[in-house]
Amino acid sequence: MHMSAGQRTLRTIAGWLVVGLFFFPIYFWTSVAFRDAKDIFSWPPKFFEFPPTVRNFEQVFGISLGFGFGNQDVVTPGGGNFYMAPRLWDSIVIASMSTVLAVVVATLAAYSLSRMDFRGRHHFVNWVLSTRMMPPVAVAVPMFFIFKQFNLLDTYTGIILVHGLMNLPLAVLLLKSFFDDIPAEIDESALLDGASRWTIFRRIVLPMAKGGIAATAVLCFIFSWTEFLFVLTLTQTSIKTVPVVSSTFVTSIGTAWGNMAALGAAAIVPAFIVIMLVQRHLVRGLTMGSLKQ
Amino acid sequence: MKDKDRKLYLSSLTDKLVRGEMGRRDFLRLSGALGLGAGALGMGLGPRPYLGVSSAQAQEAVQPSADVIAWLKEVGKPFAGTTLKLATESTPPSNAINSQLKKYFEEATGIKVEIEVLPLEQVLQKLTLDVASSLGTYDLYYIDQSWAASFSQDVFDPREQISAKPDLAMPNYNIDDFLPALVDGIAMYEDRMVGVPYDIPIFIMIYRKDVYEELGLKAPTTFEELYNNSKAITDKKGPNLFGYAGQMKSGHYALECEWTSMLWGHGGSIFRTDGTFSGNDEQGIAALDYYTKLKATMPPGVDGWTWDGQGQAVAQGVAASMLSWGEFFPYFDDPTQTKVSGLCEAVIPPQPIALRTVKDTGYGEIPGVGHQGGSSLAVSKYSKSPDAAWLFMQWATCADTQALITVLGGGTGPTRASVYDDPRVKANARVGAGTTRHLPVVRETIAKYMGSEPDLPEWAQLSSDTIPVSLGKYFAGGYGSSKEAMDDIAAQVGEVLKG
Amino acid sequence: MSVAQVKRISISDSPIPWLLPLVSLLVVFTIYPLIYNIWLSFHEFVPRKRALQFVGVDNWVQLWNDARFWSSLGVTFAYFVIALAFELALGMAIALLLDAELPGFGALRAFLSLTLVIPPAIAGMMFLLMEDPQFGALTYILNSLGLLDKSIPILATSSTALAGVLLAEIWQWTPFMVLIFLAGLRSLPTEPYEAAMIDGASSFQMFRRLTLPMMSRVIAVAVLIRGIDLFRVFDYVFVMTSGGPGTATYSLSLYAWQQTFSFIKWGYGATLSLVSLVIIMVLANIFIKVFKVRW
Repeated sequence: MHMSAGQRTLRTIAGWLVVGLFFFPIYFWTSVAFRDAKDIFSWPPKFFEFPPTVRNFEQVFGISLGFGFGNQDVVTPGGGNFYMAPRLWDSIVIASMSTVLAVVVATLAAYSLSRMDFRGRHHFVNWVLSTRMMPPVAVAVPMFFIFKQFNLLDTYTGIILVHGLMNLPLAVLLLKSFFDDIPAEIDESALLDGASRWTIFRRIVLPMAKGGIAATAVLCFIFSWTEFLFVLTLTQTSIKTVPVVSSTFVTSIGTAWGNMAALGAAAIVPAFIVIMLVQRHLVRGLTMGSLKQ
Repeated sequence: MKDKDRKLYLSSLTDKLVRGEMGRRDFLRLSGALGLGAGALGMGLGPRPYLGVSSAQAQEAVQPSADVIAWLKEVGKPFAGTTLKLATESTPPSNAINSQLKKYFEEATGIKVEIEVLPLEQVLQKLTLDVASSLGTYDLYYIDQSWAASFSQDVFDPREQISAKPDLAMPNYNIDDFLPALVDGIAMYEDRMVGVPYDIPIFIMIYRKDVYEELGLKAPTTFEELYNNSKAITDKKGPNLFGYAGQMKSGHYALECEWTSMLWGHGGSIFRTDGTFSGNDEQGIAALDYYTKLKATMPPGVDGWTWDGQGQAVAQGVAASMLSWGEFFPYFDDPTQTKVSGLCEAVIPPQPIALRTVKDTGYGEIPGVGHQGGSSLAVSKYSKSPDAAWLFMQWATCADTQALITVLGGGTGPTRASVYDDPRVKANARVGAGTTRHLPVVRETIAKYMGSEPDLPEWAQLSSDTIPVSLGKYFAGGYGSSKEAMDDIAAQVGEVLKG
Repeated sequence: MSVAQVKRISISDSPIPWLLPLVSLLVVFTIYPLIYNIWLSFHEFVPRKRALQFVGVDNWVQLWNDARFWSSLGVTFAYFVIALAFELALGMAIALLLDAELPGFGALRAFLSLTLVIPPAIAGMMFLLMEDPQFGALTYILNSLGLLDKSIPILATSSTALAGVLLAEIWQWTPFMVLIFLAGLRSLPTEPYEAAMIDGASSFQMFRRLTLPMMSRVIAVAVLIRGIDLFRVFDYVFVMTSGGPGTATYSLSLYAWQQTFSFIKWGYGATLSLVSLVIIMVLANIFIKVFKVRW
């Protein structure tokens, strides 16, 4: 579409302004991570003019960055040295593995839902969607008992299963619409040539839907990365993800805001890397999903 | 010098160093003479600026007594390899044990201890699941005083444990050393001891001495004085400095705590002897009216604050006083985190206008302005390794460990009488992070002015929902009058109790 | 074509093997909880006995007479409608704005998705801090702009608390809508627009007559996914207001959670959850029917 130079400038400024507005809370939160409590709580609030400190990061990750003491000198709310770093790792493992699980299972299902017509397909998809409608509390309690029965409490396997499961409806729905956009004629002619469904799926359809799969994966990753209640209920001491350990900073003598912000800021990084890696696929992928009306 | 004396001396040296009364060189020389070099202090000789050394770091050298370790080694042998789990609120004692002290226990016994640190309401969620399923996923329970009734049947009575397993009982554990008021208020439910008192946050009066002196005010001894002082400060210094900060977040347990303190202080009580709600009687209305009056002198944000916002308001110099958890005091003295280091003083809570006794109330409620929010530690009946858990519990609550917790955990209030007199604890009674200079006030408050909430299974719901939700509604203008609000609460409480 | 190959085709042409992993997972992990909750809703936990006891339809009767339930339902609906409306409108507007190749717009689109990687529980804490009446950055900005009186604490005033919570919600999830809409926009064919330009249609007309209809499927998916989550709102209200002041922001999910975990009323908690489930299902089905979504 054609825009005049004035329009282009105006629109560029508007775009930057709007995204800047959305970015502001993230800047502010990250800046809190570099403050001592007395610079977090002041009036008027400080936006830029505070002496930066890395103390919060040192405390949360149990490292010395060379400016202070490391965290030997304080009792950190999280419970000591090197406490939060493994939690970041837990989050990464759980989010990636559960994404793989959800995407693999959902891809298979979505392909057949897109290509094979059977009675009640519409209702079947509706049912899949409805499994996301139960309040998490109502799922968490029975899950606790199942998990205890099968020794899945407090294990990677357990949380990966739950997170994968939680993302299935979303993944199936999105992937189905991506597959719908790939003309079915391609499959049919290949079938006539004697290729099996499996071969067609693997050799032809999957590569074409790569972008859509990447997009779905990002969303699954994000939803697992940020999930709170299941991890809280189904883990104890061996594993924990970032959202749950963050609440550890709410102590009986107040909230360790700086520490919480430090962990929060650090936790943005791995998730953002994942998004950047698939960003190109993301837009192109979702593009294909909506071709067909 | 004996080991203990040596550490005591070291502690006093550390103290001097922290206060800047002694150079680092002298400190190292003297402590070196004690056989405790810089290495033992965990200080290293690196480029660390010594003036900022906080007390806790230097006190790394303060270790459990040899007797305790020897006992653990001997008695813990059969349990080596066991893993114990405990879910606890993120409190100073739990954090001190988790990050600094449990290694000594683990080394001596070979028992592994895993501690899950959570906010209070999440601890409740964990306990509820564990108890309702009787699955024994946790070996020890951290039980807030308001849940004592709910979980009293799910834990061992420590007195029974001592008599049932004399070979596992810690010598000199001395269960009678726990402050009797605390045993009564926190641990006792009907005739059972629901664990032993583990921590004791309690309401004390904390105020800014400098502001009070500047305006010629005296520390409040009555509620009327508290209001007058607070109003005077807000009138003179507002809106930059307010006289008082409350913890008044709607729907939060914090609001219920503060209200209870006011209620008791005005001669009211939560329940009558027949078990009906009495907050709507004459004294109850007077208390709520006073609370409303006092609120007018507080910062506007107070309706959104739990004790967190309240503490920050004082710490950052926005409010000049609060009647709240004594655990905050050591934090206020930390110059790196607050603007009021050394400026705050602690005194006993204001005298009540009138006071009911336990006999005038229901469900074992003990009126007193010093509202306590203590917790107990107990061994779960569903635990797969109750004996190992019992060893840990004794160790975690014995006098020696408590003294270390008080020093390392930043001046938290001990639950044992002997710990208040422990030289290690007394040595830390100076201005600075983790001070213990408020502890005499805490001790006096526990002994004379402590108030305890009633014990009944529905209390968790009443205290964290019914009462604070309606009080929040009242303060947000949702009721026509204090009487109307209290009558409505009375009706709701009746509904809950009816089942 | 060998016999074996023929057989393989016929087997794999049935959807069953493709759907089996999905169905088996969903059955184990969702049918069981559903049945369990239905069973639970006719029972109640008796603390003194440490056991569940059959109580018939008591929980359902109680629900009908429970003022808190009705008020939480109202709050949930208000939250749901307002958030969805704002996220849809803002999401569409921002997607339209960013759908151009202008300096830095690629980076902007990526930066916008940053809000999504922050756990809602932490986002709630962020906004709690920023909306603090005494120290909050946002309070300060609103005060300075004259939009808010300093004496009004946003989250502790009945009339503004929901708005304060919704701010966090809308901030975090509008980019989700932008992401999906952008993808939809970029896939639209250009020919209809060229034809419309020749006919002299205004941009607004083109948006109404071309963009909206062609985007309907994308919008439907976005509404369904987001709507379901909105109705179950928990994290923000839990962290920011505990449902207060009074019950001004007390949501249905928060109520179910409290009944289950704080009051140990498992039966009543399950009943609340089931009601929530039924309402979402009805709403979703109406939506699917009205907008003629066909899977």
